[in-house]
Amino acid sequence: MRFRPAQEGWLPLAAGLTVFILLLLVPLVVTDVFWLGLGITVLMWAALATAWNISGGLAGGLSLGHAAFFGIGAYTSTLLYLRLDISPWIGLFAGGAIAGLAGAVLGAITLRLRGPFFVLATLAFGIVIHIIAVNWRDLTRGSAGLVLPFGGGPANMLFAGLEPYWYIGLGLLALTIAVTLAIQRSRLGYYLIALREDEDAARCLGVRVVQCKVLASAISAMLTAFAGTFYAAYIQYIDPASTTQFEISVQIALVAIVGGVGTTLGPAVGALIVIPIGEISRAWLGGGPALMVYGVLLIVIVLAAPRGVIGALEWLAGRLPRRQKASRHA
Amino acid sequence: MQLTLQIIANGLLLGGLYALLAIGLTLIFGVLRVVNFAHAEFMMLGMFGVYWIWRLTGIDPYLATIIIIPLLFAFGLLCDRLIIQRTIGAPEVTVVFATLGLSILLQNAALTAWTADIRSVTTHYTGMVLTPGGLRISVPMLISFAVAMLAALGLWLFLSRTFYGKAIQAVAQNREAAVLMGINVRRVYMWTFTVAVTAAGVMGGLIAPLYSIYPRIGMSFIVTVFVIVVLGGLGSVSGAVLAALLIGLVEASAGYLIGTAWAELSYFLIFLAVLIVRPQGFFGRRGAEVFGGR
Repeated sequence: MRFRPAQEGWLPLAAGLTVFILLLLVPLVVTDVFWLGLGITVLMWAALATAWNISGGLAGGLSLGHAAFFGIGAYTSTLLYLRLDISPWIGLFAGGAIAGLAGAVLGAITLRLRGPFFVLATLAFGIVIHIIAVNWRDLTRGSAGLVLPFGGGPANMLFAGLEPYWYIGLGLLALTIAVTLAIQRSRLGYYLIALREDEDAARCLGVRVVQCKVLASAISAMLTAFAGTFYAAYIQYIDPASTTQFEISVQIALVAIVGGVGTTLGPAVGALIVIPIGEISRAWLGGGPALMVYGVLLIVIVLAAPRGVIGALEWLAGRLPRRQKASRHA
Repeated sequence: MQLTLQIIANGLLLGGLYALLAIGLTLIFGVLRVVNFAHAEFMMLGMFGVYWIWRLTGIDPYLATIIIIPLLFAFGLLCDRLIIQRTIGAPEVTVVFATLGLSILLQNAALTAWTADIRSVTTHYTGMVLTPGGLRISVPMLISFAVAMLAALGLWLFLSRTFYGKAIQAVAQNREAAVLMGINVRRVYMWTFTVAVTAAGVMGGLIAPLYSIYPRIGMSFIVTVFVIVVLGGLGSVSGAVLAALLIGLVEASAGYLIGTAWAELSYFLIFLAVLIVRPQGFFGRRGAEVFGGR
C-alpha cells in the first residue's frame, strides 16, 4: 500500500459538507418506508465498516470479531433501559465505554500476533462473546432475544417514524468519518501507517507500538458499539443471531473490503454498494442466493482489487494520463 | 471406571475424525500460508455427494465415498486454479478473505440447491455397536476412525519418505530456498491444496452415516478444527493429530462434566490463551507465526 498524506484544502471540505447537507434532505424526498429503511441500514453498515477500518485498515489488523463490540453496544443500552430504566441515550456511552475497554484489552493481548494468527484470535474473541450472549440466559434471555417496549419516546431513542433514525444514523456515520479523518491527520495516524507498513522498522524509530495499537482498537470498538445501540433502538429487538454472530463480523469486514481497506471513504462507499445488493437480492431471490452474491463479491474484490472500489478508482485515475501519453506514441 | 473408559473411547474416536480435517488444514497453512476458511465446506460437499449417491442409487455410503474422490479432486483443482493460485504473493486481505468468500459461496450454494433441510443416511449398520468389555463403540464411528488414522499415516509416510513429500516439506520450511533448489512451487501448492481438500471431502463421506447433513454443518466443525491446528502448531502434521485426539477427549469429557455450552466457552478461552502465549502451538516451529501474513 502506498503512503498518502491526508488531503488538505477547502475543496474536499466543501464537497463533504455539500454531500452531508444533501443527505440531510433525503427524508424530505424519500418517503417510501422500504427505501428509507434501506437507506438507514446502509448508513448503519457504513458507520460499522468505517469503525472497523480504524483498526482493520489504518492499524492493519484484519478483525473477524467486531460483532462482539456491536453486540456489547446493543445489549448494554438495551439491558440498562429494560432493567434500570436508563435511557439508551446514556446507554450509548455506557456501551461505548465497555466495548472500548474490551477493545483495548483485545488490542493489548493480540499485540504480537500477525497475519492469520491475529485474525483467528479476533475470531475466537467474537465467538466467546457470542457463546456468552446465547448462554447467559438470566441476563440476555439467550436466543429468545430482548424486545424494547414500544412507546418509550424520543427521550429513550424510540421513535414512531423512520426519519429520526435516518438523522441519528447520519450523525453516527459523520462521527465515525470525522474520527477517522482526525486520526489520519494526527500523530497517531502517521504512527499507524508506519506500523502497518513495517512494524519492526517503526518500533526501531521509536513508535510506541503498544499505545498505538491499543488506542486504535479501543476507538474502533467504541464506535462499533455506538452502532450497536443505534441498531437496538432502530429495530427494537435484539438477539445473538442478529448482533454477536460470526456472520455479522464477516459482513462488517466485507463492506469495508469492498469499498477499500485503509481509505477514508471506502467503507462508506462499500456499504452503498454491498447493502443494497444484499437486501434487494434477498427480496428477489431469497437468503441463500443473496449470501452467494456476497461470497462471489468478496472473492472477486479481494482477487481483482484488494484495495477495494476506491483503490481501483484511484488506480484508474493514476493510469489515465499515462494511457493518453501511450496512445500518442502509438 | 466404566464411564471413564467410555468417555475416553468416545473422545478418541471423535478426535480421529477431527484429525483428518486438521491435517489438511494445517498442511495448507504450513505450505501455502493460507488459512483455508472453506476447508469444512469441502467436507460438507463430500457429505452431500455421498448422501445423493446413496439416496438416488442405493449405493453403500462407503463405496460412494470412493466414487466421489475423483469429483472432489477435480473440484479442488478448479478452486486452486481459480482462487488459491491467485492469492500467492497477494496482500494479506486477499489471503485471508478469498477463502472466507469461497466458504460463504459454497455454503449458500448448497443452501440454495438442497435447502436447509436436515438429512441423514441410514444403513443397516448405522446403529450397530461393538461391546468389548461392556463399552459401547459405534461400528461406523470405528470404521471412520480407522480410515482417518490410515489416511493420516499414509500422508505422514508420503511427506517423510517420498521425494515429492520432501519437496512439499521443503516449500513449507523455506519458499525461496525451495525455488532455488529447482522445486516447482506452484505445482507443490496445487497438489497440497487439492489433496488436503479431497481428504476433507473423504472425511465428509465417512461421517455421512453418523452425522446429520445440512449446508451449514461446516461451521460447527471448522472452528473446532482451527482450535486443533493452532494447538498443534499451524503447519505441523503430527501436532495436528495429537491435538485432534486431545480436543476429542476434552470435548467428550467436558460435555459430560460441565455441559456443552460452557465446555465450548472454556476451550475457546484456552484457544485464545494459546494464541496469545504460545502462537506457534505446542508442536509448531518457533517463529512460524511471524511469517504468517506474508
